[in-house]
Amino acid sequence: MLAASVGLSASTSGCLQHVRSIVNRNEVEQLSLTITTLSADGDRESIQLAQDIGATLETAGIDIEIDMQSREAFRRTVLINHDFDIYVGRHPGDIRPDFLYETLHSKFADESGWQNPFGFTNLTFDTYLDRQQRAGGEEREQAVSRTLEALALEQPFVPICVPHEFRLVRTDRFDGWKQGHLATRMGYLGLDPPTTEEAVLRAAHTDSRPSQNLNPLAVEFRNRGLVTGLLYDSLAVPRWSGDGTDAGGGDEETDGVEEDGDRTYSPWLGTDWTWNENENETEAENEEGDERTGNGSGIDTDTDTDTDIELNPDTQLEPTGTLTVTLREDCQFHDGHELTADDVAFTIDFLSDTTRDDSEFPAPSPRYRGHVDPIADVTKQGEYELEFTCTASEPVAKRVLEIPILPAHIWTERTETASIPAITVADGTTEALITENLPPVGSGPFQFENRTQREFVTLERYDEHFTRRESVALPEPSAETLRIRIDPRSTSAIELVESDEADVTSLALESYVVDDVLAAESEREQTSDSDPIEVIESSTGSFYHLGFNARTAPFSNPRFRRVIARLIDKEQLVSDVFYGHARPIAAPVTREWTPDSLAWTGTDPETPFLGTDGELDVEAARAAFEEAGFRYDDEGRLRVRY
Amino acid sequence: MLTQVLVQLVVVVTLMIAVSVALFVGRRRLQVTRTEWRTRLRATAPALAVLTVALLFNSIARQLVPDLSWMIGWNLTWAIYDIEGQFILWLQSFETPAVTAYFSFIYIYGYVFALTFPVVAYFALADTRPLRELLAAYTLNYTLGLVLYVFVIAFGPRNMMPELVEALLYDTYPQYQHLTRQVNRNTNVFPSLHASLATTVTLLAYRTRDQYPTWFYVTLGLGTSIALSTMYLGIHWAIDVLAGLGLAYISVSLARVLVDRWSVSAWIASIRGRDADDDREMDSSSDHT
Repeated sequence: MLAASVGLSASTSGCLQHVRSIVNRNEVEQLSLTITTLSADGDRESIQLAQDIGATLETAGIDIEIDMQSREAFRRTVLINHDFDIYVGRHPGDIRPDFLYETLHSKFADESGWQNPFGFTNLTFDTYLDRQQRAGGEEREQAVSRTLEALALEQPFVPICVPHEFRLVRTDRFDGWKQGHLATRMGYLGLDPPTTEEAVLRAAHTDSRPSQNLNPLAVEFRNRGLVTGLLYDSLAVPRWSGDGTDAGGGDEETDGVEEDGDRTYSPWLGTDWTWNENENETEAENEEGDERTGNGSGIDTDTDTDTDIELNPDTQLEPTGTLTVTLREDCQFHDGHELTADDVAFTIDFLSDTTRDDSEFPAPSPRYRGHVDPIADVTKQGEYELEFTCTASEPVAKRVLEIPILPAHIWTERTETASIPAITVADGTTEALITENLPPVGSGPFQFENRTQREFVTLERYDEHFTRRESVALPEPSAETLRIRIDPRSTSAIELVESDEADVTSLALESYVVDDVLAAESEREQTSDSDPIEVIESSTGSFYHLGFNARTAPFSNPRFRRVIARLIDKEQLVSDVFYGHARPIAAPVTREWTPDSLAWTGTDPETPFLGTDGELDVEAARAAFEEAGFRYDDEGRLRVRY
Repeated sequence: MLTQVLVQLVVVVTLMIAVSVALFVGRRRLQVTRTEWRTRLRATAPALAVLTVALLFNSIARQLVPDLSWMIGWNLTWAIYDIEGQFILWLQSFETPAVTAYFSFIYIYGYVFALTFPVVAYFALADTRPLRELLAAYTLNYTLGLVLYVFVIAFGPRNMMPELVEALLYDTYPQYQHLTRQVNRNTNVFPSLHASLATTVTLLAYRTRDQYPTWFYVTLGLGTSIALSTMYLGIHWAIDVLAGLGLAYISVSLARVLVDRWSVSAWIASIRGRDADDDREMDSSSDHT
């Protein structure tokens, strides 16, 4: 009897265990993913890319859903809440490749903003970024190439293309449009008015967000910060490189720059800066040869070289040098407060933590984070001089010159966590990050006058601005008033310029109207029409990309990401979505920084499309997924274990 | 540009109404109206006041709805697209410049005319009930529509498939963008208020077909054209239009029940009466203590 019961329990427990090990295995299901993107009113190209890519993924056996959002909601979802599978959108990019550091370094994975929205964490990759951050001279170029090659291998995001930007301007009221890039403040300064009566510069702006919020730190509301760039001054203005494709601003304000020999920045609020390299800094050894390994095997951990910072993520970075900056004297904010070194020191401190150490939970600014990250310490040398101790190479450290200088007396009061009665507010949501900042008080060439939501923003010239001084030979605001009229579509914005109700379309025109605009332009040339309308083409560092949320499976798997990258026919997308007005890319940087190994050769050099002319080779795609360790069911559906 | 478009709209619609008054209302009714307009106006004033308040509230609320929706609403765009898929594309395959011109005209001018003419026409009737029902139904359309807008985020077809569904209205006639964006937000497409209000007019025209027999047939054509135009121009999904039809049916039925349920004059009288009652009650309660 006893023996029987023991026997029974033994056999049932064995059986249960068997059942448990079967039942407790998670179901392998069809991969179903959501592509988060913007509506056509928000970004026409993004939704088109998402539709095209989604259709291709569906042919490859993936279940697709597209989640369309408004401009603001999209940025909140992707950049702040990280609540997405994959997204398609436009990255503000940069003319220099240093933004890759905050974009991909694992230490930013938990922050909000454009710093690592992908949650991509790879210690080996971090070492490439660290090296790029600290390498100077010739080594820098090499370090950048290695980062880009590792990026092409890992595909934390898939760079798709860099669009060509076209804008329409009227030359009868203001001229000199080609002096500065129209996506930056320099495009709207130094214009020549033919008569002094033409005091109002009228811009047709296809994005309504500047009329709702003018906070330079609010990542949901800013693209590249054109309007806030006019309201706030930076220490220096980045100069567009001499690269042939980087039209529109190559030779702006040459005066006063040659002396200090800085080819990357021209003076603005800062008049002068000097870089002192630390003596004891041992130059990192020169890497030789291309050490990339075969497809899909991850990044080679070359342990035989680079022993100082590599492979030890806990190493404290030694300072590399100091940057001493002299400020322009007697500058004031729009409210009359003096702008001094205190404000600059405050801004740098504030951007790295908007709580200013009040709270246990630091709240770094979602914008300009990478610019201030290499600044280890700031010392005031006097009322108008500061010394920055930096942990990066000279060109990287100088990015700090681009940050908007905030008035300390206003922003010190915005360190508290925002609160709404009876609602729990996420930690790190300081007043500074969510304030509409109206009216904005900066020191820039224009000051805020008024606005009507979704209708217009009016800026008045700030007559006390230093560019207005006799002694300063920098482009100054020539228009008394800058009226930014919100007009939601390219077609109606064009009409405003043509009917002399606007002087410039301040944002780039959507690709689908570009052919018409160019046709009209060549017609004007042929018929020698006296219409004073001109098309301005400018290059950009901004690019379209597909981002993965590497925090979750299967997007955390580089093999999976690589196969997805190979399902995207960038060449075809450029012709279908951008009507050819874009440059397909394998590396998300300007042409001059693209290494030869990643130059576009009619196809992607690293992740070539699995198919021809936009038509996916389904068999090849399946084989690629299977090789990457995924399976298909009988009905051709891709199955994954979440 | 906005003023120019607005002036054009007012001129065209006024002309259309003038012609229609001559055709449908007739001289006799106008003559009677001239003598009775005061009493009719007094009878419809409450309904008119309610509508005015609703519209004012609507115009303010519309500014706030998008923010509220992104917090608490459901984004149904994909669900709608998944269900009806290619219908809009099929509809747009009939595109010709003439058809586009016709539907653009209908969407802007036809719609405004369809909404305003019945007000004039019903005012010319001795019985003010149709007019009051019309105004009440408008109020209900706007109010119930607003509630749906809060809870449903949906982008129209032109936002979902910009390359396939051409935003015919705004690309062919960019000036109208200035007009429609005063009224509409791009996340508020479910339900189609164009469809619901046009259907409301048609349903009421059916009820008044004895007084205005021809007008009923006109609204049939006009209402169908307006509903089709919203889809053909890539502004609404078919589901939005169906929801619009449903909203119209509910609004008209509710209006029928609600109109004449309360009489303002009776209410004022009752307040006076109740005040007197209250006073008496107060007196009696003080007696008790």
